[in-house]
Amino acid sequence: MSKIFQHFWQNFKEYLVLVFLIIISLYLITLDFSDKTQKLRAMIFGTFSVVNSFLTDVFGSGNLKEENERLRSVNADLMLQLSKLRKDALLIDELKNSLSLKDTSKLNLISSRVISMFTNTSQETFTISSGKIDGVEIGMPVISEKGLVGVVFSVSENYAIVKTLRNNSLKLTIKSERTGEHGVLKWKSNSLRIINVPKTYQVKKGDRIVISELSSIVPVIVPVGVAYQTENVEPGIFNEIIVIPYVDFNKVEYVFVVPIVASKEVKNLELNFLKKFK
Amino acid sequence: MKYPFIIPFLLLIPVIILQLVIIPFLSFNGISPDLILILLVFYTIRNNQIYGTILGFIFGAICDLSFGTILGSTMIAKTLSGFIAGYFSSENKRDSYLTPLNFSLILFLIGIIDNGIFSFFSSFDLSDNFISFLLTNTLLNSVYTAIISILVMTVIPKRRLFE
Repeated sequence: MSKIFQHFWQNFKEYLVLVFLIIISLYLITLDFSDKTQKLRAMIFGTFSVVNSFLTDVFGSGNLKEENERLRSVNADLMLQLSKLRKDALLIDELKNSLSLKDTSKLNLISSRVISMFTNTSQETFTISSGKIDGVEIGMPVISEKGLVGVVFSVSENYAIVKTLRNNSLKLTIKSERTGEHGVLKWKSNSLRIINVPKTYQVKKGDRIVISELSSIVPVIVPVGVAYQTENVEPGIFNEIIVIPYVDFNKVEYVFVVPIVASKEVKNLELNFLKKFK
Repeated sequence: MKYPFIIPFLLLIPVIILQLVIIPFLSFNGISPDLILILLVFYTIRNNQIYGTILGFIFGAICDLSFGTILGSTMIAKTLSGFIAGYFSSENKRDSYLTPLNFSLILFLIGIIDNGIFSFFSSFDLSDNFISFLLTNTLLNSVYTAIISILVMTVIPKRRLFE
């Protein structure tokens, strides 16, 4: 038996090693979101981020950094306020007794710097200089002064990885601000697209696309981009709308983490709702 | 060599940092050279197929954990890349394979496989146009990596490097 195995190993060891390692890799894909993987990931990218942060400081523009950071923070606050005001204006037209919306302008945004990027056609991520110590948690939205950048995916003590909108594993519920029609936004075929859009939708080129209040991932209304083109992917009842994002992902230096996690918000609301009936 | 994985592993750390800090400045529309693949193919050609397969697996694991990509996707891509690069590790032809032009051609071929497998496991969508998928996710990245590899191989001394 051992001779047969030895013979087999001698002749096919390269293939055996390959098959063994591929099976392990396939198994690990299923563990991507496990707690242990997240902890290991946080440890490893945290270590790299220390060096990356130093290098970014060296290569970056040091002198105007603080002033820039302050101004960008003001811009981000104003962007959120503007977004809310636009939304309110549209609602007032329709309803006199408007709904009381969350005042997103009072959120204490966590200011952060992009210290490294993993550029890829489908899995883009940023590493930012804020982590657990600053109050960053997995699932928090990340914005710049122009609009939504992405969502926090992994957090170490001092750093966090953000999945940007150019990451095809991020799907967001959005809506057209003008028509109020909802859709799902996804990075696909190297562009940001609203997928499975019924042909009856009235979204036109130039319409502002914002995060929907129905979104279970991003709980604040943040601008995302502008509708650019409708594509008829295949004959049928659905179209796809290409969206040009407001954020230029190649030039983002400073971002802000919005300290809200969607699921917690929903949980709190549900708990409050239950308390009322106790 | 007593510890064959130590030097490539030590070199991987600065290469990952370069990939994260410098390469974004050289990328266009997400198309960027893969320095880790250059390192992997170089060391695989200098050693053998099993070595390349295991090295690819280790590199892939570290990349997945440090880049935030789906755990396992880069591992599979790099493991297979290391395995295929192993076919070019013949002792008789090793030196000719490590000349800048030949190396870049090898890297172009392996780059297509590496990018194709990575994209398949991380982003393939059946509703996508396959030709467009092939062009944007594999070919352009591979061409860019091959071009950068010519520069790298021209700069690096030819023999006995890091031994």
